[in-house]
Amino acid sequence: MALKGLDIFKLSPKKNCKECGSPTCMAFCMKVAQGAVSIDKCPYFSEDAKASLNEATAPAMKTITVGEHKLGGETVLFRHEKTLVNKNLYAVCICSECDADKKLADLQKIDYERIGERMYVEFVFVRNKGNDPAAYAALVEKAVATGRDIILECWDVDCAKAALAVAGKNVILDGATPSNWEAMNALATEAGVTLGVWAENISDLYDTVKNLEAAGNKNLVLDVTGATAKETLANAVLVRRTAIKDGDRSFGYPSIVNVAKLAKGDAHLQTAYASMFTEKYASIIVMENMTYAQALPLYGLRQNIYTDPQKPMKVEAKIYPLNGADENSPCALTVDFALTYFLVSGELERSNQPVNLIITDASGMSVLTAWAAGKLSSSTVKKTFEELDIENKIKNRTLIIPGKVAVMKGEIQEKLPNWNVVVGPLEAVQLPKYMKDKEYEAGVKAAEAERAAKATGPVEEVKELSFEELLQTRVPKIEVVDMGVKYKGYNPESKTFVTIGERIHCIAPAIRKAMDERDPAPILERAAAQIKAGATYLDVNIGPAEKDGPERMMWAVKLLQENFNNVPLALDTANMKAIEAGIKVYNRTNGKPIVNSADAGSRIGYIDLAAANDAICIALCSADGIAKDNAEREMHCDNMLERGLSLGMTSDDLWFDPLFLVVKGMQDKQMEVLEAIKMFSDKGLKSTGGLSNNSNGAPKNVRPIMDSALVAMCMMQGLTSAIVNPNDLRLMETIKSCDIFKNHVLYSDSYLDL
Amino acid sequence: MSFVPKTAAYSGKINAVTLGTGDKAIVIGGQNVLPFYTFDAPIENAPKIGVEISDAADSWTAPGLVEFYAGCTTMADRAKKAATMEGADFIALNFESADPNGANRSVADCVADAKAVADAIDLPIVIMGCKNMEKDGELFAKISEALQGKNIAVMSARNEDYKTVGASVALAYGQKVGAETADDINLAKQLNIMLKGLSIAPENIVMNIGTAAVGYGYEYVASTLDRIRLAALAQSDADLQMPIIAPVSTDTWSVKESTASEEDEPAWGNQEERAIGMEVSTAAANLTGGADAVIMRHPVAIATIKKFITELV
Repeated sequence: MALKGLDIFKLSPKKNCKECGSPTCMAFCMKVAQGAVSIDKCPYFSEDAKASLNEATAPAMKTITVGEHKLGGETVLFRHEKTLVNKNLYAVCICSECDADKKLADLQKIDYERIGERMYVEFVFVRNKGNDPAAYAALVEKAVATGRDIILECWDVDCAKAALAVAGKNVILDGATPSNWEAMNALATEAGVTLGVWAENISDLYDTVKNLEAAGNKNLVLDVTGATAKETLANAVLVRRTAIKDGDRSFGYPSIVNVAKLAKGDAHLQTAYASMFTEKYASIIVMENMTYAQALPLYGLRQNIYTDPQKPMKVEAKIYPLNGADENSPCALTVDFALTYFLVSGELERSNQPVNLIITDASGMSVLTAWAAGKLSSSTVKKTFEELDIENKIKNRTLIIPGKVAVMKGEIQEKLPNWNVVVGPLEAVQLPKYMKDKEYEAGVKAAEAERAAKATGPVEEVKELSFEELLQTRVPKIEVVDMGVKYKGYNPESKTFVTIGERIHCIAPAIRKAMDERDPAPILERAAAQIKAGATYLDVNIGPAEKDGPERMMWAVKLLQENFNNVPLALDTANMKAIEAGIKVYNRTNGKPIVNSADAGSRIGYIDLAAANDAICIALCSADGIAKDNAEREMHCDNMLERGLSLGMTSDDLWFDPLFLVVKGMQDKQMEVLEAIKMFSDKGLKSTGGLSNNSNGAPKNVRPIMDSALVAMCMMQGLTSAIVNPNDLRLMETIKSCDIFKNHVLYSDSYLDL
Repeated sequence: MSFVPKTAAYSGKINAVTLGTGDKAIVIGGQNVLPFYTFDAPIENAPKIGVEISDAADSWTAPGLVEFYAGCTTMADRAKKAATMEGADFIALNFESADPNGANRSVADCVADAKAVADAIDLPIVIMGCKNMEKDGELFAKISEALQGKNIAVMSARNEDYKTVGASVALAYGQKVGAETADDINLAKQLNIMLKGLSIAPENIVMNIGTAAVGYGYEYVASTLDRIRLAALAQSDADLQMPIIAPVSTDTWSVKESTASEEDEPAWGNQEERAIGMEVSTAAANLTGGADAVIMRHPVAIATIKKFITELV
């Protein structure tokens, strides 16, 4: 938790002696808060004050490790604020009065996988009910034999001692109370195990923790189980809230909730309570038993609640046979984004037709996004088919692909020559009818005929051509057309804000078609409009372009530059060869080409590509999904900067992208993005990004207002460029006005017309 | 130094909305704290449970449901029986068979059923549609007309049809209207603003903010509930202070955990127990997140959630 300068100032000597080099104690403390100087620079800060400062900067809630399990370590009260970190674990309770053997055998039956996660009972909770150390130790030994970690609920010192002797290392001794904490503390410390603390009420619990902390033990968990469910919820919430909201670390420990105690003999009520405590702050939930009727909902809920809201939830790439499908049933393909999977599988199930749903790895993106980012391509589909050995597992050769990526049909057909690739419906809701009426059959017939024709036709010789050869043979001649607009030119030394026009993008059907058919008109039209509106650069997104990327890009680059006075371009595609080819024919009169874009994950190689071709590179500060905070953004930024510099780039040629987030959905993250821009700016770095993403989904009349407000705030933070729609007049006028205030352009009454 | 808990009651408050009439009328909402946070302030009205009666209930095969409704042939029979259920606060009539792409029951038949139910029981009534907007529009209007004065709630005024549904249900016939969105807090707020814009009083609006069975994308429901409640209470956002009715059973009874037979999944054990588990867990999670009422199906699950609520309030 970051401390404010004023909090530090309160503890400072307030002498204003200047020995630290700062004019006043206040100034010094402000610097300490920013991390600019070490507190040790002040000779007069008392050790006590330093200790309490260290304490204050420690995380509010400790992470306690038991065996392989991590407990606690949470930083927020609600998952949407950031994410919850360490999922709650489950224990089953045994004691001398129950059939321990049967319970231990039963709990081991719960062991299965759900969306890549092992679901099982992590702990055995062994209750001590008497004062017979030997009997208790014998019971503990049985529990240890399951291989699960152990919680000893034992308030009797002798019994605890005997149990610890046989319980191994992965143990929580849930035994400290207000009356015995000293003895139990000694036992737990000696055995090197985590100590559980319980008290009749929350105030006594607090005092006991304070005592234990004073005795030097901070390896604790808090058993917050009260006499009733109501009291237990109060304890669980107050403990967590006090730690995280009020920053009182004495309650900053993981918690145990024993629902077996709260609803003894009522398995259904235990399921209800366990569901509540999954959401409200239990780190370990103790159940009387764990059956599948309990495990299936509870582990499902836990998996949902502990999903990182900033990362898309993915399902496993594999074949999902639906409605009793077998090897003779047709196949339908979609991406691994969990929502897509649930939607598509739900609709397919509604059709009651047997079908094999094939989920392909697309980094958890939706169909169109994955396609545009190159995460769903004929190569990734082919890879899935190979990895899952689908060709051998399934005999039916019908493969239905999502209607939204109809454009991929040919490429997939080429990569999977033994299959009949059919384009399915555009929306999942159309699937039941599509499957019931077997609408795919016509497509299958057509694909079969096509394949038969190919099989008899002459085999095309495949030879890789050089860029030069491609340029000669595959790139149509460019005709210069007068569009009535002239690109004014751009001086790369200028400090004015750089707008990169985003309108030539393959996600727009008109552009996709134009690119496929090499039809200049729609592309020139959009280019002319953007240039007229004052765009500095134009982005050229040619789609994933797996097959003909290089010739496509060379054509697009030449088309735009020859028509518009060598307008500078950002080359945007998942096909790196295409970018390289584009740069080969690129004219640098009005600035270097921009490579759009590298990230800190799978697209890190784009920095190398930019470096090798003396291009500017947009560097997206994320690896897999959205960065979880600015510490992560900064880490990615530093790594990419280092990589670029080591390859001989100058820092001016790396434009860092914080990744703009949509307000509808991530409203509470907007300020973080703005702070990231400031961070880039403070490092002396340039920045850019898809700014209009913020207003995605907002009404048409609202978007220009939101975009303009945001761009002004961003420019204040030091943003140097943005990928925008230049046809948005309000936005462009705002940018021009901000350039005036930033003193990048000398004011004149008609500055808006320039 | 001993521990003194800080309480966190808010200035914002959930609207108290009355459903039904007479002795059996219920009030949902009214609290100014997070769900079950009785240590911050008392919960004014305990959350309520609605029993789902479907016009496709013949297809319910769980032995406990079959036995409970044995001898019932009409929706009214079932509603009468359901009203005796421990924990039943209101009856939710699900007209799923009206779907033109399904059984396509006529509006007249549905209205007759609703009328018969209203004559047979005195518990408040909530109406669920068939998800086909055109059919729902007519169905909701006709049922609202037939049950005028009963103060029912009609779920499912959506972004696409809120004008017609709001105008007929709330304005013409004085019933409560349910604003339905799918895990989208911004749209949930917008839809309430639009309904208020039609001159529907806030205390005549309830919300269904989206549902899912636990394990099936429930995190979106959970976070939408959290965010809506925090906006309503901490930010006093009057456009999100409508109480929430969560239809739980329609989702939980259709997922694999509930539908797979014991032969299909031998390790999983008794099928009905699993369905009860899914329903109990999803209902408890919804109530913990912010639902002021849940719609459920199985008598055992309902009795469990009734006990859960009683213990916590």
